[in-house]
Amino acid sequence: MNLENDAIIKKDRLRFTKNKLSANLTLLAIVFNAFYFVSIYKSDVGNYYYKLIIGISVVYNLLFMLAAFLSSEGVKGYKMFYSYVLVLLGAGQVIRIFILPRAARDAVVTLSEMEQRVMGDAQFTRVCIYLIVSAVLCVAAAVINIGKSTTLAGYQAELEKKQKGVSHE
Amino acid sequence: MSELKLQHLDKIYDNKVQAVFDFNLDVKDGELIVLVGPSGCGKSTTLRMVAGLEDISAGSLIIDGRDVTQMPPKDRDIAMVFQDYALYGHMTIYENMAFSLMLRKENKNVIHQKVMAAAEILDLTDQLNKKPNQLSGGQRQRVAMGRAIVRTPKVFLFDEPLSNLDAKLRGATRREILLLHKRLKATMLYVTHDQTEALTLADRIVCMSMGHVQQIGTPLELYDTPANIFVASFIGLPPINLFDVEIKEGQAVCSDFVLDLDDREKEQLAGYENKTVVLGVRPEDIVQGGNIEVKVFSNENLGQTTLVSGALRRHKITCKFREWCTYKAGDTVKVTFKKKHFFDKDTTNAI
Repeated sequence: MNLENDAIIKKDRLRFTKNKLSANLTLLAIVFNAFYFVSIYKSDVGNYYYKLIIGISVVYNLLFMLAAFLSSEGVKGYKMFYSYVLVLLGAGQVIRIFILPRAARDAVVTLSEMEQRVMGDAQFTRVCIYLIVSAVLCVAAAVINIGKSTTLAGYQAELEKKQKGVSHE
Repeated sequence: MSELKLQHLDKIYDNKVQAVFDFNLDVKDGELIVLVGPSGCGKSTTLRMVAGLEDISAGSLIIDGRDVTQMPPKDRDIAMVFQDYALYGHMTIYENMAFSLMLRKENKNVIHQKVMAAAEILDLTDQLNKKPNQLSGGQRQRVAMGRAIVRTPKVFLFDEPLSNLDAKLRGATRREILLLHKRLKATMLYVTHDQTEALTLADRIVCMSMGHVQQIGTPLELYDTPANIFVASFIGLPPINLFDVEIKEGQAVCSDFVLDLDDREKEQLAGYENKTVVLGVRPEDIVQGGNIEVKVFSNENLGQTTLVSGALRRHKITCKFREWCTYKAGDTVKVTFKKKHFFDKDTTNAI
């Protein structure tokens, strides 16, 4: 094998190394998602959250974590399909800002005969950051994987072409 | 590559058991030295002392002019290949081979080039994405060697690397190690209890017993001019035949036969007149014809040679004839000894 320059070596390396960067970014996205739901579920605001929406939120969190974990394993092996899954998950995280956090921010509850907002500005900012970071990490992992997968596929096609050329000669 | 000097090495364990006594060896640059001996003779302990896995109780170890006796293993620039491969099961072959370089935080492209070069040498390029449990024993051992090669160490250490392989694979891998040595021109220290490996691989062999070096020499020297009875018995398959003989008036007299000594032997045994010495005759140095009668016990045809086990009047004897023989148990065959080795009975040293 003639590995002439760094660019080719970098491409060739993809054949034997896993896409750990995308996989780790995805796992980090799961961590930020966990920060988000812990922040909401630990809120002491009476029974405001005891509604159908919180049930859906719990189920979605579980699904998100499962899908993100599977995607993390998928992108590790340069599977393009999981990049699209990650983009969808990232978009989902952004949309979530406008569902539960937004509603909780606007809501007021009465506790010990005192009115108070369900989600203060500080908590709202915090959960928004968690969701946005989680979304960015998912999309970044997807973009990196798309780039690497495309490069790898192109390089492998090139190698196959060369091999065929050699065998024909 | 580099030179290795083992000077007066001793190994004494905490329980006061001494495993190695005054081990001295100079390994030249690019030399393949094989340490051979029976189990418990101290060969692996010596190797582990060189690797830094065992403390050196006394003496010094010098690699490339630098005293590394007290240095930790990681600073000695040595790579070791173990009998049980010691591969990481959860890593691919590529990762296994690259691991030590990754720990050193070398440039990833440089690591890649080194791994690919080693894989090509060892014919492992197609296996790089597999896990160790998907490979055969021989391939795994090649991976272990590859892991050593990528580090380009000063000295390679092999601790019975072929013991876990079946006979066929052992032969093939042995040839690969030999080719590898020729290609890398590396300084190698190789431990085995298998004399075939020692004879076929070594530039020089160190034969050990009970922690003592018995003889250091080329394979031919150890085979042809063994320093003592131990080396004579250990090197050579089937083992050498040994007889007590008395030297009397130019003859070696045994209870089973009388041999006329030639002029060289007479001169050699001049100081042993009327004394008992040990006569050693290798099975392959016994030829048919002559006046020594052997009663045949068994006749094993090995293709080009025939192994005949039998007895003289009092001693058992094994002969390796170059012909295809068809002796039956109870037959008598007359033989003579082509080449003889004489040993002092008290010191066991060669005369």
